[in-house]
Amino acid sequence: MIPLHRLKPAFWDLPDTAGSHSGLNLKRKWKLIVLVTAILSLSPLVIMTLVDFSLTRRTIETEANTGMRTSLNTIAAMMSASLAEKPMVTGAKTLWDKTFPHLNTGMHNDLFLMDNTGRLLTPSYYYEAFGSRTILDAGLFTGPDGIVHIQAPDGTPLLAGYARVTHTPLILVQLRQADWLRDLWLKPRLKLLWFLCASIGFILLSIMGMATFLVGRIHTSERRRIEALHHEEHANRLASIGRLASGVAHEINNPLDIINQKTGLIIDLLTLGKQARPDQRLLPLAEDVLEAVKRCGTITRQLLDFARHMEPCVEQVDMEEVISQVLALLETDARDRGITIHVPPVPEIPEFACDRSSLVQIFLNLGENAITAMGKNGTLTIGVFHEKTDLVTITVSDTGKGISPEDLPKIFEPFYTSRTDRWGAGLGLAITYGLIREMGGDIRVKSVMGKGTRFTLTLPVKAARQSTSDGSLQLPGADMPVQSTSVSDDTRGDLYAKP
Amino acid sequence: MGPRILLVDDEQEFVQTLAERLQMRDMETSAVFDGPAALAQVQSHPPQILIVDLKMPGMDGIQILKQVKQTHPGIQIIILTGHGSEQDKILCMHLGAFAYFQKPVDIDRLITAIRQGYETILSNEQKTAPCDRYPETGSWQP
Repeated sequence: MIPLHRLKPAFWDLPDTAGSHSGLNLKRKWKLIVLVTAILSLSPLVIMTLVDFSLTRRTIETEANTGMRTSLNTIAAMMSASLAEKPMVTGAKTLWDKTFPHLNTGMHNDLFLMDNTGRLLTPSYYYEAFGSRTILDAGLFTGPDGIVHIQAPDGTPLLAGYARVTHTPLILVQLRQADWLRDLWLKPRLKLLWFLCASIGFILLSIMGMATFLVGRIHTSERRRIEALHHEEHANRLASIGRLASGVAHEINNPLDIINQKTGLIIDLLTLGKQARPDQRLLPLAEDVLEAVKRCGTITRQLLDFARHMEPCVEQVDMEEVISQVLALLETDARDRGITIHVPPVPEIPEFACDRSSLVQIFLNLGENAITAMGKNGTLTIGVFHEKTDLVTITVSDTGKGISPEDLPKIFEPFYTSRTDRWGAGLGLAITYGLIREMGGDIRVKSVMGKGTRFTLTLPVKAARQSTSDGSLQLPGADMPVQSTSVSDDTRGDLYAKP
Repeated sequence: MGPRILLVDDEQEFVQTLAERLQMRDMETSAVFDGPAALAQVQSHPPQILIVDLKMPGMDGIQILKQVKQTHPGIQIIILTGHGSEQDKILCMHLGAFAYFQKPVDIDRLITAIRQGYETILSNEQKTAPCDRYPETGSWQP
């Protein structure tokens, strides 16, 4: 059985995602489209069918009645001619028995003779009592011939055709069940009616399908437009942050080096100078200042790294070799913390080309983050997959504490950090993101609190350099690759499932 | 006696302090605060090592680098800047700078570079007669 909710279009129940009015409007639009199209397409069909119905009915009835009257008149005329010189009633009976003994075929064709007092001369199916005077009111038959609706003694509605036999009091009567005619035209029509209903159903389904498709398209494009606007705004904001950051970094470097040199001079004076007995506390104090300057220097350098726009040198890269280089760099730290690094066999990607140092940097940033997130004990898994010919997929998963859904959208922003130690400037993932975008790739993240985090990178096999128009840095934002995973049972399962 | 050094930087506090520190390490160091003064000093009293900031009002470090490399190719030039980008570094090295440092600089690394530059000069001097190479240096002998 098809689950109904799958058939429901995406815009039906979504007042929140695409903006509250747009969701409602789309539903109304859909209904309007279905209604108008259904009326326009079905009304001619229905009208034509009804007209055809009544026309057919009238034609058949007229034809049948005319046929009945003609045949009755013919028989009446024949009888009139034959009875001209014979005793009326007995003559008629004899003639009837002789000439028309088989005409009465019972309930469907009850043909008999009566006189104008209502007395039956020949047997009738509906008025069996031969000779009875009470039964059929001759007053019903007013003209020389015609067709009238009557009721049989048992209540059956009947159609009575009659023709007077000229020069005699005799009336020739033919009784048929009233629905005889209906049977004649309705039964074939009913078959057509089924076909009509099926067509209407099919047309309605098509209309609904079309409307769903069209409104779905509107919904998708509307959502894309809103997302694009949102992303552009986001990207602009981040770009300004980046420009500001690099400007600040540059401006800070000058006064920083004044502090650096002045403090250095103090140390020089204390160590190289000829002062007799300087205060013992001065030297460590000055060295602390130098240490702080170094920290500032690290941060400004990271900022400039982040903002730098170096032409990458695209070359053939052996993925396995890159990973072993990265592992060599991460191993010590991981071993100290009791963390296992697991690397499934790396597939051969002979034509893979990119900026090698950027790739190493990406692996290092993600690997270091993962190790920091796990603290002590855990497994870091680096997987490389080559399933589509033009794409390489890389996953870096840890079993660390995870990233909260509130933080998840911010992790690629510059200066975002969860590290409490003093060296984290919060630029690692921002730089990683920039490098991946420069390679023409994409990065996504999935995280479950308490379970771990997985970054999934897709890189083109042949690195396409994406140069930003102003030649400045490539910043996170344009399509922030964040996928928040709520802690629910159905998502937990696939967190570590191999793609 | 160590190398003769000329420091060019518009941050006066910075150059004066750095000059003092280099002097304490037996290097004959003088400091100027802008490009024209630096070029004048190079003409009148050419140093062996020139340490230049990139971003200065008036004449910037790249211009000084170009001009000095034209007139005195033997002078080793070290760039010391707070504004450098990777492109600047590549450009400066291409124009003939000997080393490139980003502020804040570690004095030991700077001194190492100065010594290396000085040694390069000394080895060049051994190959060529000093008077041919540096006619302006007059009485100075390595």
